[in-house]
Amino acid sequence: MTAWLEIRGLTKRFQGVVANEAVDFDLVEGEIRCVIGPNGAGKTTFISMISGHHRPTAGRILFEGHDITTWPVARRARAGIARKFQTPSVFPNLTVSENIELSVLTCRGKVASRRNRIDEVLQIVRLADVRDTPALALSHGQRQWLEVGLLLGMGARLLLLDEPTAGMTAAETHATGELVRHLVRDLNLSAIIIEHDINFIRDLKAPVTVLHLGRTFAEGDFSEIAADERVRGIYLGNG
Amino acid sequence: MSLAVDRPSGRAVPAIREETVAAVVFVLLGLLPVINSGYVVYILPQYMLFGMMAMSLALLWGNTGILSFGQAGFFAIGGYAMGLVMKEALPINPGYLGILCAALAGLLTAGLIGYFLFSAGVRDSYFVLVTLALSIIVEQIAVSQSQWTGGWNGMFIMRPSLTFGGLGEVSLTDDAPMYYAVLVAVVAAYAALRFLVRSRFGKILVGIRENDARMTALGIETAWYKTAVFAVSGATACVAGALYAAHSGFVSPSLGGVLFSTEVVVWVAIAGRSSLLAALLGGIFVSSISNYLSAVSPQYWQLAVGLLFIAAIAYFRGGIAGALPGLLKRSRRK
Repeated sequence: MTAWLEIRGLTKRFQGVVANEAVDFDLVEGEIRCVIGPNGAGKTTFISMISGHHRPTAGRILFEGHDITTWPVARRARAGIARKFQTPSVFPNLTVSENIELSVLTCRGKVASRRNRIDEVLQIVRLADVRDTPALALSHGQRQWLEVGLLLGMGARLLLLDEPTAGMTAAETHATGELVRHLVRDLNLSAIIIEHDINFIRDLKAPVTVLHLGRTFAEGDFSEIAADERVRGIYLGNG
Repeated sequence: MSLAVDRPSGRAVPAIREETVAAVVFVLLGLLPVINSGYVVYILPQYMLFGMMAMSLALLWGNTGILSFGQAGFFAIGGYAMGLVMKEALPINPGYLGILCAALAGLLTAGLIGYFLFSAGVRDSYFVLVTLALSIIVEQIAVSQSQWTGGWNGMFIMRPSLTFGGLGEVSLTDDAPMYYAVLVAVVAAYAALRFLVRSRFGKILVGIRENDARMTALGIETAWYKTAVFAVSGATACVAGALYAAHSGFVSPSLGGVLFSTEVVVWVAIAGRSSLLAALLGGIFVSSISNYLSAVSPQYWQLAVGLLFIAAIAYFRGGIAGALPGLLKRSRRK
């Protein structure tokens, strides 16, 4: 049986500097996976190769049976692979609802069903109250949610979330955890999440992949990873 | 700060719809020959066509954030296309065919340039440089290929007639019929471009202007959209040029020059790049005022226009149209 997302021997070198080395990775549909690792472990590079922003030096990526290794960003996005960037990438001069409208527009459809979809997405990401606010006036946490809303609007099925709780207050982090769980459990989306916030990862109760120096260092449930002395040594103990 | 990236701050939400204002403007323009039959009826179509060229730039610059210094190049291509077609003895109306050829020439030239540049990731200032080169190339070809274009002497063109199948014919030799023919073309161009801007396509262009990388990550092939809008913009400028050739009866190489291209950018920047109507009015008024002032004060008018341009780029990025709603609000409060 092949996985929904199947990654084999994924390697990326930047002029000799190894960012990822022979990473194997499998994800089944409807799964959340957290990717952790100390700075420089190659987490963002790994996500970038799945989203198409970086071309791997070696290895291949299969998504729903298609070899997408050489697909450009936009084609992968249309296949349902959607990326949230470390620094939120939204449309700062447009209002919240115009932002979502643009993402909904990328899928062809009737105008009336688009309107409903915009309202739906605004509800899910809890931004219905600020729908007429320009994105640049949002709080940092709200901007992260708006970007998640963009991914929903475009019809994403695999969410690549690069530090979704960066810069958030404890309450916002908690709300983001609830949002991600809602997306995966109730809307049947899948997610690969890069995170530093240990409490956030624990609350998600999701399997964890640890990257270290570009390689897969350990893989397992949160409790196993948290109990692993080697992982503590490279990451948790210093964290 | 890059000229090619337009990020207007604060979206104006005018109480009056742009289409309403446009309708009033067009009705006034339609009534003008009834009241006045002098020089203005002869000269105004020329400025309206400059306005049409300004709209082609506003579509590109204001809506998509791509600045072009090549609009005069397209205008000249359209003018020469009209001239070359009108020379031939054809079984069908050469005026219509000239406009069609001009539109196709613009679509093709801009489409090809756009395809190669945008799919190679060329953007902002680099794209501006290429469009600048386009203007120079068009001017040089017009000069050097004198067996076709008449070189520096230019090319004289007969005014065409409007034919309606077997229903009759209206000669455009007189100024009033020519005026209305141009007005109809300008209204049609405004309506078509306005429709485009408000469509799904137009909204995606705004998304590209605001955040190209995000649109790509949402699944949009932004290079394709940019190529398409550049092609439409080029075709619009070419049609304006073809009508200009038919109206003025004369085209010369300087029509495609860098100087003229720059003037278009100045009109649009001063009037407001993010509104088609503002660009149209900018093309009509700024160009006619410049022409008037250049006769009154040849030394200082260019300086004045230049200062206005700098002020618009530095302080009023939305131009007059962008500053107007705020000024109105302030005066109402007083």
